[in-house]
Amino acid sequence: MSIEDMPHSGDRPTREISVTVNGEEVTREVEPRLKLSDFLRNECDLQGVRVGCEHGVCGACTVSLDGDTVKSCLLYAVQAEGLAVETVEGLADDGQLHPVQEAFHEEHALQCGFCTSGFVMATKSLLEENPDPDRDEVKEGLADNICRCTGYQNIYRAVDRAADKLDAVETDGGADDTATDGGER
Amino acid sequence: MSESEPQAGHETTGELEDRSFTGQSVRRFEDRRILTGEAEYIHDVTPPNCLEMAIVRSVHAHADIVDVDTSAAEEHPDCELVMTVEDLKESYNPQPCGLEGFEEWSLADGKARFVGEPIAVVVAEDRYLAEDMADLVNVEYETLDPVVDGMTAREGEVLVHEEYGSNVADNERIAFGDPDGAFEDADHVVEGTYEWGRVSGVPLETAGVVAQYDENGDSFHIDCNIQLHTLVDDTVYETLGRPADRVELNVPADVGGSFGTKIAIHRYCNLAAMAAEQLGQPVKFVEDRIENLQGGDMHCSERRYEMRLAVDDDGTMRGLDVWFVDDFGAWPHYPVNQVLKPLSVLTNSYDVEDVVYEYDLVLTNKTAQTAYRGFGVDPHQYALEMLVDDAARELDIDPTEFRRRNLITPDQLPYRIPSGNIYDSGDYPGAMDRMDEILDENERCEGGLLDPDIVEQRREEGYYRGTQTAVLIEPGVSGSDWTDRQRTDDETIENRTREDVAELPEHLRAEVKPDGTVLAWLATDSSGQGHQTLVAQLLADELGLLPSDIEVDYLDSVEAPTEYGSAASRMAVMLSGASVGVGEQLRENLAELAADHWGVEREAVSYRDGRVERGGTDESLSLAKLAELDDEGRTRVSYDYEHPATGISEFDDALTSKYPVYPTAAYAVDAPIVEVDVETGEVEVLKFYTLRDCGTMLNPMIVEGQAHGGIAQGLGAALMEEFGYDQGSGQPQAITMFDYLLPSTKNMPDIEMEHTSHPSPFTETGAKGVGEGGMIDAPAAIACSINDALEPLGVTADRLPFTAHRARKRLREAEE
Repeated sequence: MSIEDMPHSGDRPTREISVTVNGEEVTREVEPRLKLSDFLRNECDLQGVRVGCEHGVCGACTVSLDGDTVKSCLLYAVQAEGLAVETVEGLADDGQLHPVQEAFHEEHALQCGFCTSGFVMATKSLLEENPDPDRDEVKEGLADNICRCTGYQNIYRAVDRAADKLDAVETDGGADDTATDGGER
Repeated sequence: MSESEPQAGHETTGELEDRSFTGQSVRRFEDRRILTGEAEYIHDVTPPNCLEMAIVRSVHAHADIVDVDTSAAEEHPDCELVMTVEDLKESYNPQPCGLEGFEEWSLADGKARFVGEPIAVVVAEDRYLAEDMADLVNVEYETLDPVVDGMTAREGEVLVHEEYGSNVADNERIAFGDPDGAFEDADHVVEGTYEWGRVSGVPLETAGVVAQYDENGDSFHIDCNIQLHTLVDDTVYETLGRPADRVELNVPADVGGSFGTKIAIHRYCNLAAMAAEQLGQPVKFVEDRIENLQGGDMHCSERRYEMRLAVDDDGTMRGLDVWFVDDFGAWPHYPVNQVLKPLSVLTNSYDVEDVVYEYDLVLTNKTAQTAYRGFGVDPHQYALEMLVDDAARELDIDPTEFRRRNLITPDQLPYRIPSGNIYDSGDYPGAMDRMDEILDENERCEGGLLDPDIVEQRREEGYYRGTQTAVLIEPGVSGSDWTDRQRTDDETIENRTREDVAELPEHLRAEVKPDGTVLAWLATDSSGQGHQTLVAQLLADELGLLPSDIEVDYLDSVEAPTEYGSAASRMAVMLSGASVGVGEQLRENLAELAADHWGVEREAVSYRDGRVERGGTDESLSLAKLAELDDEGRTRVSYDYEHPATGISEFDDALTSKYPVYPTAAYAVDAPIVEVDVETGEVEVLKFYTLRDCGTMLNPMIVEGQAHGGIAQGLGAALMEEFGYDQGSGQPQAITMFDYLLPSTKNMPDIEMEHTSHPSPFTETGAKGVGEGGMIDAPAAIACSINDALEPLGVTADRLPFTAHRARKRLREAEE
């Protein structure tokens, strides 16, 4: 490409978008080429959205877009115009971890943690669609996400545990005998 | 099988002296911030006014660089900086390369030697703009024939480095005992050729750097996710031409995986730091995934083994002959360690005295190697176990029985292998027997995966099942100076005494805070291993506190002594030893402090349960009170836990010679049950049984997590992962995650894990390392199970990864 063909930052096309991010409306002027993952990370300061491959394989950037589970690196921010995005930051309620987050902690389903946001979002979505998945359904449901540390064993257990917790929330109105947490200070 | 029930680490019950957090599955302190998205990885670090860097990379495997035209980029209003090698030469040094005779600049100098090699860098306001600017840099090449294959490279027709004069950067032949005699006398000599494809850790987080330059102090602050930031910092400060104390490498508390690979990201640190100095502004670089896979200096071993085993009629192994070529790519980074570490487990779990070990370390037009979990041991174990399988068949002995006959027995431990290293503890035959029992009970029974009727039925349908057990040793706790010794001439080696040996301890600091809790400082970086939790639970025991009373932070490369860190499964052993040492010293200091305060003899007071008590009275001083009383810094201690081989005379011979010493020998007996579809060649691991011994289990949940992850990476290496190259052009064939296939949930079977424990007599806590385990044992185990499955067809997994394509090819060839 030659310099004549290349616009500079002063004359690049931009578009105004409004996106509801974890319940709050965000309005920004963005370049159409800005990836949704970069929009969430850089414009919305949601660093729980991780960028691992930027070509849709690893799933670290998985978020919920109007209820659909998507890889935010495969969408442009402008495609989220008018839609609602939920990221891992939106899960904990008043400091209380979401049952899926709790289950991941309790089952040691994360090591380096870089893939974890994506797995938590994918697990939440899986359990919303199928509250009681068997092992094969868990494997199928999480096959779009890669973890390089855990060998998935503890993630499988965490999904089972999260299913139990969510089930308990449904039936007992929230009662759950979660073990005391070793990680809280 | 064992399922370690996690232990709450934050209970408020008293009687702490009666309980121990060590050995419990204390849940990790690291998790909460990660789970809520609050963790700050290097990708998240962006100081004010930070610019971003992009790299112009070679599109050819081998080419003279005729011209780098940067004018268009420089003229563009969005461009902040362009640097080529000429700019580097004005102010900086080449990067330390690993072997003498190679001058490696952080950007290609005159010639590109692999696809993806950095040629120029550009800096702009953000990465989008920086990539636009990179597009404006025009590189003119004159292409050269590449050399792509290690065996061809040995011939030297095409030279990767003309000035070096050869593509063989290093080679050595080392004989132990009398291998010639053994091969002459033995009844049989079995030969085999086995190949191991290029794999790597491929952590989910790519490399990242944020460099800042301080003009006033002429110093650098570099945040980055390099591994071993206190050990390999010379690759950065030497390149920048500054003393070590003016180049501060700081690694965030959260690193998104490394597995060894990130020790070699210094190129990026150097380039970002140089740009930051040139611009007087912070410069950030985040490697993208294609850069990482294609030319990120992060591939690992690519080996061809030609091996021989001398065996008697009765199945006694007499001698072993190992020869291999390792294709290191364009530059010999960390070369000697990688090809020599297998000497620490030279004969694996077998009692063999006469061995020869020879290698050629060759250079080709591929991206350079770095370390990866196992660090060269995994291919050795794979090739050796393949040879053992081949020998068993040739002798018509059951492969399991053949192994059993040659195993080192418990009464031989500690056992000195021919290369001088010593295996600490264990019961290999016992472990093998136990695995037999497990398989009998669970799988060889009616309805099990290995029920003979089912195996037969599946075979009729074209699916061949099998499993093979073997005992595989994981050498743990590197950290003596054998790499330097390897470069030392024979006469000097001959005259070495134990006093000449340098060993690398592990450093830990702790201090009592005003509120009576304790703050500890690690001198190492972490990438998901749970070091903070480990130190917290051990120190809690030492000090009679709760793990949640201990906070753990990190030292940067200037603050920390230039020592070692997390490599070669050191951390469980070294950090636990250091925690015990720090705890003892802090208890003693606090007791002395209290005695001085009360004006009594030291003997009149005792430390107990988070306080110091005065004997014969009910007076006591809390840690908070002691912190208040301390005006001499006695509530602050540091401790260096010595390398476990220090002071143990059994290691003297090895330490004064030039071969590696790894004083712990964790081991695994694996029995993966595999099924091969002989039509498609696809291999499925149906279930992975493993029995493991890592000595004292400090935190069983973390131990199991490490093993699970290692086994998954081992499965990838055995069946899926490979950095292939076009043999003609040298173009890499795996530059996206669609080509470099990582195991997903679809590939990973359930792992059934059981533990046995023979604590190491050499380490403070009895722990052996576990960080590399699964990657060391799983590839060999899976390959041998494939051999068992395909035994009726005479096909073996003689090249890993044993992809469906390769398997099909072997099966078709066998049919003909």
